[in-house]
Amino acid sequence: MTVRLRPKELPKVPVEAYCITPDEFAGKTVEELRNLTVWVGKRCRKLGDLFEVYGESGDNAEDTEIVVEGDVPTVKYIGYEMTAGRIVIQGRSGAHTGARMSGGEIVVEGDVGEWSGAEMSGGVLRVHGNADHFLGASYLGSPFGMTGGAIIVHGSVGAETCRGMRRGLLVVLGDAGEFLGADMVAGTIIVFGKACRGLGAHMGNKGAVIIVHGGVEEMPPTFVYDATYSPTFIRLLMRELHRTYGVEEASRYMDAVYDRYHGDLAEGGGGEIFLLRGGKRLTNT
Amino acid sequence: MAFRLNGVRVEDTFAEAFRLWVSRLIITAKNARWARIAAQTMTGFATSIIMCGCEAGIECELSPDETPDGRPGVSVLVFTGRKDMEDQLLRRVGQCVLTSPTSAVYNGIPLEEAEDTVSLGGRLRFFGDGYQKKVRLGDGLGAKRRLWRIPVMEGEFLIEDKFGMKRGVAGGNFIILGRDVDSALEASERAVKAIESVKGVITPFPGGVCRSGSKVGSRYKFLRASTNTPLCPTLRAEVPDTQVPEGVGSVFEIVINGVDLDSVKRAMAVGIREAVKVDGVLGITAGNYGGRLGKYLIYLKECLGV
Repeated sequence: MTVRLRPKELPKVPVEAYCITPDEFAGKTVEELRNLTVWVGKRCRKLGDLFEVYGESGDNAEDTEIVVEGDVPTVKYIGYEMTAGRIVIQGRSGAHTGARMSGGEIVVEGDVGEWSGAEMSGGVLRVHGNADHFLGASYLGSPFGMTGGAIIVHGSVGAETCRGMRRGLLVVLGDAGEFLGADMVAGTIIVFGKACRGLGAHMGNKGAVIIVHGGVEEMPPTFVYDATYSPTFIRLLMRELHRTYGVEEASRYMDAVYDRYHGDLAEGGGGEIFLLRGGKRLTNT
Repeated sequence: MAFRLNGVRVEDTFAEAFRLWVSRLIITAKNARWARIAAQTMTGFATSIIMCGCEAGIECELSPDETPDGRPGVSVLVFTGRKDMEDQLLRRVGQCVLTSPTSAVYNGIPLEEAEDTVSLGGRLRFFGDGYQKKVRLGDGLGAKRRLWRIPVMEGEFLIEDKFGMKRGVAGGNFIILGRDVDSALEASERAVKAIESVKGVITPFPGGVCRSGSKVGSRYKFLRASTNTPLCPTLRAEVPDTQVPEGVGSVFEIVINGVDLDSVKRAMAVGIREAVKVDGVLGITAGNYGGRLGKYLIYLKECLGV
């Protein structure tokens, strides 16, 4: 069952729409949906004031799909803490999209704002455009970022993406900004473009893996080169990405050879970075 | 009582099969040759649970499209008791697959279909001496899988954490009575080749053929099983309960284990139909213990649809 939201003229002030989740929409009539609360700055408004609402919601979150018809870059917290169901945003989406989600799927056909997927623990966030800073990261003061689920970005990502990542999967088909996977404890990050400086800074525990295919701008000096080989597990990951997550690009790297580095030696050295052989070589190792 | 198939006498009897737990392992390697070597080594000494601890064999070879990592692979079935599975897999994978160049091992029975699980990678990982690394698959999709990367001299050994197992069927069989060794062996070889096309079964004996079927017990107190005297052609005139018809000079048994009863029945039918095509095959029968030991009685008539 699908509920469609067509944006009216949105205010310039950011809108906080915690209510746009399948969990909140499930089992409600269109009238009830129009009366859901959103925040425009400090003012409380109704969802129906900002969106034309039509369609029908499912009995439960799992059976509910929400389609946002158009750009909503100033609407924040869409899919916040969602547990099931599906949201499709046919344009750009605002900050905190899918933050703390634990299940279901969000598809954003344009770009997403900062903190999207922050601290998510399950489900899939698929972004066809670019993602701004702190994608999948930990909120300030919080020890862990993503603890599960998958984020797939077809464009590029900003700085401090997946900071404090503890588990889960991030796939970036474009480039990654500074400090990708900083403070990462575990989980897997795969970048098909290039990575900037600060890559994997303070990676501590064993189990944290970053795989970069387009070279790295500058490697932290606390990572050391180990070997060049073609790991079976990367082959497996690439096949999984292609077959299960629909990432076509991955099938090109089935037989690829990688340089393995481990670090961050300042934090125990349990993390790993794999750079596609032929990518930019490091100058400080 | 008997009936005829392609002019060959088939006894109206039954094979007596029993329940064993089964686990499926997908072994992959750099090429088909090394995948096969790993699988053959692992299943080498696994013909009969009586002395080998398990019964195991190659189910089929897999093309790169059919394996998790896109490399050539081999599917292996291992049959044993529920409590013995972990020990058997640990020994065999640890000594025969871990050591085999470029190999990786994946679970072949999805955990949602499994009745029980064995922590194989979870145990073998300790070989990594603390340098082993965990790999997770399926994040966000609800079907999570965990694997272990174990550093080895060649590079890395990859193995799935948990392997599923379920109740299987062991001891399905039929017996080929031939005029001489040549005709009986040719019929056996052709039967085994035909059985290879059936999914979900193995023929655990050497080349799929057993020349020394056993009977329960012996005249020696220390021996649990001894040669199947009623089916030894050389003892035809010597033992009172001989089942070797006149003119039969050689007898082979094809033992079939399968993931379920239907696949064992299918394999038996395919094998018998192929065996009776060979000139010199004088009869087909099946091994049983009068219905006293096995849980499953597989009548030849029924599985052949006669």
